[in-house]
Amino acid sequence: MSNIYKNKKWLPLFLVPAFAFMALYLYYPFFMNILNSFQSIRTLGLPAGEWNDPWYINYVTLIKDAEIWTSLKNTCLMIVVTLIVQVGLALVLALMVDNVKHGTQFFRTVYFFPIVISATALGLLFNLIFLYDKGMLNQILETMGKASLTDWKDESHALMTMMLPVAWQYVGFYFVIIETGLNGISSELYESAMIDGASRWQRVKYISLPLIHNVLCTCAVLGVTGALKVFDLPWTMFPKGMPIKSTFLTGTYMYYQTMEAKNVDYGSTIAILIVVLGIVLSQVTNRIFKEKDY
Amino acid sequence: MKKIWNIALAAMMAVSFTACGTDTSSETGTDTADTPVSSEGAASAGAESVSLNVTTTFAGEDGNAQNFKNAVKAWESETGNKVVDTSATSDENFKTRVVTDFETGSEPDVLFFFNGADANDFVKAGKVVSIDEIRAEYPEYASNMDDGRIAASPAGGVKYAVPVNGYWEALFANTEVLDAAGVALPDENTSWEDFLDICQKVKDAGYTPVAAALGNIPHYWWEFGIFNHQTPENHLDIPASSEDELGQEWVAGLEDIKTMYELGYFPDNTLSATDDETFAMFTDGKAAFLLDGSWKVGGIVSACQSDPEDASTLDTAKLDHFDVTYFPGQDARKTTDLIGGLSMGYYITRKAWEDPATREAAVSFVEYMTSDEIVPLFAQHTATALNNAPEVDESQFNSLQIKAIRMMSKVTSFTGAVQDSFSGECRTSTFDGMPELVTGKKDIAEAVQEGLDTYYATQG
Repeated sequence: MSNIYKNKKWLPLFLVPAFAFMALYLYYPFFMNILNSFQSIRTLGLPAGEWNDPWYINYVTLIKDAEIWTSLKNTCLMIVVTLIVQVGLALVLALMVDNVKHGTQFFRTVYFFPIVISATALGLLFNLIFLYDKGMLNQILETMGKASLTDWKDESHALMTMMLPVAWQYVGFYFVIIETGLNGISSELYESAMIDGASRWQRVKYISLPLIHNVLCTCAVLGVTGALKVFDLPWTMFPKGMPIKSTFLTGTYMYYQTMEAKNVDYGSTIAILIVVLGIVLSQVTNRIFKEKDY
Repeated sequence: MKKIWNIALAAMMAVSFTACGTDTSSETGTDTADTPVSSEGAASAGAESVSLNVTTTFAGEDGNAQNFKNAVKAWESETGNKVVDTSATSDENFKTRVVTDFETGSEPDVLFFFNGADANDFVKAGKVVSIDEIRAEYPEYASNMDDGRIAASPAGGVKYAVPVNGYWEALFANTEVLDAAGVALPDENTSWEDFLDICQKVKDAGYTPVAAALGNIPHYWWEFGIFNHQTPENHLDIPASSEDELGQEWVAGLEDIKTMYELGYFPDNTLSATDDETFAMFTDGKAAFLLDGSWKVGGIVSACQSDPEDASTLDTAKLDHFDVTYFPGQDARKTTDLIGGLSMGYYITRKAWEDPATREAAVSFVEYMTSDEIVPLFAQHTATALNNAPEVDESQFNSLQIKAIRMMSKVTSFTGAVQDSFSGECRTSTFDGMPELVTGKKDIAEAVQEGLDTYYATQG
């Protein structure tokens, strides 16, 4: 029986289905997407008409397009919010929960709960909270004496209104990862430090944080790549980059160009930009948050 | 033994692959091979049950969604056939879905869809059957319709879609707000200047004059804004440039919307609100006017019911506060010239036509849905193309429907919406770009030219 593991000549055959699946549903569409970015496609579902004239016109448009720069700026902001609010807040919460004696499981469940709710449902929920007329927030402010209604989705509030729910939704995800990392630290280390007279903050600073460094790196990489893919919740709350195309992210702008503006070939060009951006940013993040060997 | 085991595993993999392949081909084969079998069966037996794929826009909040369900049920029990209903709310995603279905060969057998430029792609590809071709085999097909009122496709001028109910676009009003502001309901004599004066008075009284979400659904204001500088004769013409006479009329129409925005006649959050939000403002008595289509009558009636699903819960006193009137005109357009017509109809697809059994069922279905008995149920207060339209029995209608019927009696003309010909990507600069236009972040003439450039580029 052990010989079956030594004889590897049949092994490639078993890899074929997965490879075929990937080739058909990932690599083929990806290469077609590159091709499409040079062709004229009027509506989703229609075949490419002809080559663009000049063939690279979509890439020129990409550079000149003010909305793509807005999308990139907003996406960068989303990455910062992800790192600071999602990972940062998750770290604080995890450290606090790690220091409580009872109810760890309760807090884990409470903080993780938003993850299991669909982003679209959350978008609708927050739409009701931030609604202009009869919205929960405006009603609360009204009872506190505020005379006029606040448009939480206008140009000056829109980005905050969009990023707050996204940040809130994923705090629990990073909380669970960091909390798991903290649980892996031996309690003997903390006990020794206590005997040596280390304060609670010193234990966090010199034991917890260094030992979960790699976990935090993983969270940072997940956060950056995740921020690039955020789509459903922002689109539900701010379709078409409302208001005045100021809330576009790279993902929502690609969807808008493809599905709403029917500029499918330009949508393909933005998709390529997102892929390139994803590769570059994940490499940069990997280098900045390089994992350490202990 | 182990070698045999390896070979057996590999063989199983190969078989599973072959099986997958065989499945696909046999499924494909089933489609093509079964068809003649069932059609032969249908031809010989003449009573074999057919499953008919039907896609319409009678779904969601459409006022005729329930009428359609009832009619389908009645047709099924009459013929013994089955309808696979894939209807969906009419929006841009729905249009894309239909076009994609045709492209991928998964189109329905019967389609209720727009007869304008949105259908050009599958009409040009010969994927739907013309009424004349159907009549060559079924002479009675749509014979109860006035052919002169059946719209021809812009792609080739041939008639494909058999209409059911028409539509109109007009100005709904909340008379409670108008009374509070001390102004009268605009009528057929109200001019554009009078209307602006009314809006100012409504605003001064602390209400929002016009419920509109310019960042979400600017369509109606776009259409009437432009129509207001044109006549029914030239409204459907697309300008060659933003600088020619027609183009300047488009620019002037959009300038009017900008002026109204600057005067504060739209809701404070018009750029960030959804259409549902501004509609709620109107029905809640916070806004005076709503420019919308005939389909909104059902929405207003629902808003006056304590249970939107139960017609018996209608608050008739509340509904009496709503009225519908003409959109005030300026220049050559008369106030009583409306946007409207028969913009949709039933298509039979080539795929269904080529299968005798499905063809029979599709023709029967469309004939049933466009019969003299069914059409009035769907049309209610809108126009039809029937030769013998029944007399309107007002006792069957609610107060808003009756007001709509009375308004219609003074209409001087119905003109189609030019945006139906100006669809897709070319609308982006002035539809999605409306917030930029009204806030002055983008020049209106430039945006119109951008849309026209895209239009002519895609026409080639």
